[in-house]
Amino acid sequence: MPDTFETKKQEKTVVRDAPREAGVDLRLPAVVPTAPYPIETLVPHVNQQTPAVGQRVTRTDGRLHGLGQTKYIDDMSFPGMLHAKIKRAGIASGRIVRIDSSAAEAMPGVMAVVTGRDIPVNSFGPSLQDQPVLAGERVYHAGDGVVAVAALTEQIALDALDKIKVEYELLPAVLDPLEAIKDDSPKVHDTDTNVYAKKTIKKGDVEKAFAEADHIFENRFSTQMVEHVSLEPHAAIADWDANGRVTVWCTIGRITLARGDMSRTLKIPMHRVRMIGTIVGGNFGGKNEITQEPVLALLSKKTGRPVKGVYSRGEEFTSTTTRHPIIMDYKTGVTKEGKIIARKVRLVLDGGAYCSWSETTLGKAAILSAGPYNIENLHVEAYTVYTNKTMTGAMRGFGAPQVCFAYESHMDDIAKALGIDPLEIRLRNAFGEGSPSPTGQVLHSVVVKESLLKAAERFGWKEGRS
Amino acid sequence: MTDVVLRVNGKERKASVPPETTLLQLLREHLGLTGSKLGCDVGDCGACTVIVDGLAVNACLMLAGQVEGREVLTIEGLATRDRLHPIQRAFEERAALQCGFCGPGSIMSAKALLDENLDPTVLEIRDALSGNLCRCTGYTKMIDAIQDAARELREEKAALAVR
Amino acid sequence: MKGFEYVSAKDARHAIALLAEYGPKAKILAGGTDLLVELKSVPEAPPAVIDITRAEDMKGIKVTDRGLVIGALATHSEIMSSPEIRERYPALVDAAHSIGAIQTRSLGTLGGNLVTAVPSLDSGPVLVALEALVTIAGPAGSREIPLAEFFVGPRRNALKAGELLVDIVIPRKNLGKPAGFQKFGLRKGQALALVNTGASFWLDPVKKVFVEPCIALGAVAPVVIRAPKAEAYLAGKKVTPEAMAEAGRIAAGEAKPISDHRASADYRRDLIAVLTRRSLEGALAVAERNQMESGK
Repeated sequence: MPDTFETKKQEKTVVRDAPREAGVDLRLPAVVPTAPYPIETLVPHVNQQTPAVGQRVTRTDGRLHGLGQTKYIDDMSFPGMLHAKIKRAGIASGRIVRIDSSAAEAMPGVMAVVTGRDIPVNSFGPSLQDQPVLAGERVYHAGDGVVAVAALTEQIALDALDKIKVEYELLPAVLDPLEAIKDDSPKVHDTDTNVYAKKTIKKGDVEKAFAEADHIFENRFSTQMVEHVSLEPHAAIADWDANGRVTVWCTIGRITLARGDMSRTLKIPMHRVRMIGTIVGGNFGGKNEITQEPVLALLSKKTGRPVKGVYSRGEEFTSTTTRHPIIMDYKTGVTKEGKIIARKVRLVLDGGAYCSWSETTLGKAAILSAGPYNIENLHVEAYTVYTNKTMTGAMRGFGAPQVCFAYESHMDDIAKALGIDPLEIRLRNAFGEGSPSPTGQVLHSVVVKESLLKAAERFGWKEGRS
Repeated sequence: MTDVVLRVNGKERKASVPPETTLLQLLREHLGLTGSKLGCDVGDCGACTVIVDGLAVNACLMLAGQVEGREVLTIEGLATRDRLHPIQRAFEERAALQCGFCGPGSIMSAKALLDENLDPTVLEIRDALSGNLCRCTGYTKMIDAIQDAARELREEKAALAVR
Repeated sequence: MKGFEYVSAKDARHAIALLAEYGPKAKILAGGTDLLVELKSVPEAPPAVIDITRAEDMKGIKVTDRGLVIGALATHSEIMSSPEIRERYPALVDAAHSIGAIQTRSLGTLGGNLVTAVPSLDSGPVLVALEALVTIAGPAGSREIPLAEFFVGPRRNALKAGELLVDIVIPRKNLGKPAGFQKFGLRKGQALALVNTGASFWLDPVKKVFVEPCIALGAVAPVVIRAPKAEAYLAGKKVTPEAMAEAGRIAAGEAKPISDHRASADYRRDLIAVLTRRSLEGALAVAERNQMESGK
């Protein structure tokens, strides 16, 4: 603790816990206060500089986390609160013929049912508004929500989902991005092509440089879909009040953007939406957009009660965004000294059923796909395509880890084939101070080589190879 | 309904719950102790770790009826009015709690370990944490924190022995 | 979870009576680490869950004239800390340690693990290599069968309706028989085995040859299997690294591993060869330790 702070006990705030000590025979409330914890208040000295630099800093919320006192969404509850669950499609592609929720609605404890038809504007998305809140006429992937139920308990809501019958007309699905990119593939949405975003980077003359190269290397790399698996599942509570205002407690990391999406999907002015971003139990890019929040809001509107929704771990995998799998084709021309003179890259990003943050990911993946290397002649073509799978979106690095895996693996292949030390070949090609990026940005404070050398020295690169 | 009488954090508690209630639901929904978290509900993530009769267990994998007559310790039972438990303080000081969602479970696993072994090796600490998944902080800081706490607890014990 | 009735059994007899009362759909709760996961996703709840965690007569680990008797309710943690097991069978400690994580080992029981009869169960191979028997009690009395016959197929065991697995016995003749265990999973903690192996043999103190070698392989067939050809190859042979490696190769040819999302059949066969050899080496280390201690 910085020594210019002084710790003071606030004795007045200490709650007497004598009634609890007295035992269980007293008429205690059903929920007694939680266990004791020390109450300390940090009082900084007035008019004194706090030495922030060089001090070890602890997280301001660390103490509450450690005490188990932090209130995540699932730790909150309100009087009369209901629990919501969403029925998932379970099929990759189809048309909804009929939804029969009468048996569910007749169940004791079921308070409201909502389908895609109840959503005033049933589309959202950070760049393309192609994602329904709940399925409308069609389902586009197995994790699509179709019907939502609010009930007195989570279990009643789950049981109600079992009683809802949804009839589908199955439609052809496309699951492989390389199939999806073809002209004659089934189309995920009613568009001419499944390609919904494209980026091209051209620099120099690749074909000419390939002709001049001593060696040409080609390889295909691919990565898999990855879920963020934040330990806290997606969760939210919505409360629609009598003034027509909705308050939403949510785990979303971008609450302003989410407020816009709430306003759009619920067709109410932005000022009627109050978003409260609670402490988030892990995000990693997976909680950057709305999921069930409009549904909870509508369930709350229908019932006049606050409604909580918490995703199951299974829903986390099937119904929230994931990291893009990318199929990465690399062709690289090098001189016999190991200098890269030309590189051609084609990236096919599996976008899943909806765009989400694919455009951002596409751009980053494309720009970074050449690696931190000076390459005079470069041609990158990158596409994201729709498939009937869980949508891919933001995740730590936005496409950078995938291409890094590809270009560094490729580099190792080249080094091995040419008999050059893998570190050496990187030093021969790496960015230096003032190097231009693939898109022409002049880079400053570049320490790629210095970092490589320092790392090599620290972990004994030379020694390990001899 | 299943009637249970158990001791939670040193105090006797009674509850009448549906038979299918898990220990985690009993703690969170019936006793108001929300410190133990629900992360996966299948015993993989360890966010619900509590100590039952001295053993670290997944509260999501026990029925309320199973803890009848038993002693349950949760994250809420570690601190007192006077001070944080040394593990809690070490986790705070070592910044081993980032989003904090896995924290209570990890701290309870550490508590169960240090109750048995006040001088664990790094391997033993890793083994004790192998049932606690963390996605942001990582385990290095937790291991540092547990070593700090173990040191402090050993010193306390030595001081008591002298007296 | 969907609603069911919860009943707690005092002892094995009470549990069998409750099973008869509630019928074949009732579920036995021992450790609960598999059962609760299952109950959270079943379309229909069982009529009752019979909690046997308080059946004291099904607990404990002790040596009797039957051999080493492990109560079906012994948890993996109890097996790891039992002096009876630690001194005789480090392989059983390793096998128990490789299951799940501390939280699941505190709850999960040996009997429960065997009853699941999943092909990759980690307590299977060493016990099969030690020719363990299981006691099954039912309304008509109790019977004892070899553990190897208890596994009928993937997730299928020899328990008939109304029966209960009561204890697991390592027979007297194998008391202290040196054994080794190996497991390969994709992670150290909480991983299912791609392959797990158990091996046991007596080391002839004079001739230094394999006596009664037993090799058991898990996760490479519908049930835990023995490797009879590899065993026949080893019997009476001088204990050498080459012989153990060759036995591994022979064992690899005796299994029928599958290819799935965790590993290919070829990879699993390679693993069998390596893990069988290491299990034999593990058993050898125990044998040599035992002989050194008895020589003192």
